[in-house]
Amino acid sequence: MLKRAIVLTAGVLMLAGCATQTRYVDPAADDGPVAMTMDYRDFEKAATEAVEDMVASGAVSNPNGGRYIMVVSRVTNDTMQRIDTDQLTKKIRVALLRSGKVVTTTAVGLNGAEDEMSMAARELRNSEEFDQSGVQKKGTLQAPDLSLSGKILQRNHTVGKEQQVEYYIMLSLTDLATGLAFWEGETPIIKRGSNDSVSW
Amino acid sequence: MKLFSKTIGCALLLLLAGCASQPHTTGVIERDSLQVDPDVLYSMTVTELFEQRIRQPDGTSILQVQFAVDAHSDAELAWKVSWFDANGMMVKGVADGYRRASVLLGQTRYFKATAPHPRVTTYQLHIREPQ
Repeated sequence: MLKRAIVLTAGVLMLAGCATQTRYVDPAADDGPVAMTMDYRDFEKAATEAVEDMVASGAVSNPNGGRYIMVVSRVTNDTMQRIDTDQLTKKIRVALLRSGKVVTTTAVGLNGAEDEMSMAARELRNSEEFDQSGVQKKGTLQAPDLSLSGKILQRNHTVGKEQQVEYYIMLSLTDLATGLAFWEGETPIIKRGSNDSVSW
Repeated sequence: MKLFSKTIGCALLLLLAGCASQPHTTGVIERDSLQVDPDVLYSMTVTELFEQRIRQPDGTSILQVQFAVDAHSDAELAWKVSWFDANGMMVKGVADGYRRASVLLGQTRYFKATAPHPRVTTYQLHIREPQ
């Protein structure tokens, strides 16, 4: 009985020793292997290209001075993966905010406000429980000037003994006053790897 | 007696103030605009490095840099640009990671990067060989 326990413990310890050690990855210095699925590096590449192109084109620079107000519209995920498109749009929003040229409204959205507190805070109006001097006044919310929308596409091909997975990140920045797309961009991300790899 | 102790007090205060460390004020240290990993130089040469300021409709301007590489063999490179304001402080861009690219033998490739903010005045381009 004791012999069996010792053998079992030794086996478990040996297996634990062989396991890959968990470690931190520094996104600024990551030379790690590439996955066939979309990873954070792909979103970084797409966001960097989009923001640099938007800024260089002057599309996000308000000729009347001040910052444009942008709303994030629908970014469709047409891939075989479960992608939260906020992973892409958040990077773009943060970078545009940092550029000092665009600010994003969270009070409007296709499926309701991103932050419902803007409206909820206004329900305190006329409430006797609240000091009305601090309650938001009527007509203070700012309407958006620009809308960011897009689509992420995936196409799979077999190339010899390998598979090729193509992702296309397509974005449009629409001027809401005219309905015209002030800026449009497409970032292709092409990966080729083993047929055994799974891209979904 | 009171005047004497006041004088001594003042003298001590002045002495202590004199001993206090002076604020460290350094000028802007010159940075090289181009930082190329020596391993990369075997496979490619950086032939051009340009910069320009693009006028924006709001009256500001944005720094843009462009560089070209000539490949001596098929190779991979990773590059990134760090941006700095007039005080030499780093200005954050979208991401900190390197951008990967491939160059083929005899090919000249051009790469462009745009500063994340109008206050960017200088930059440092890093080119290295990915592992």
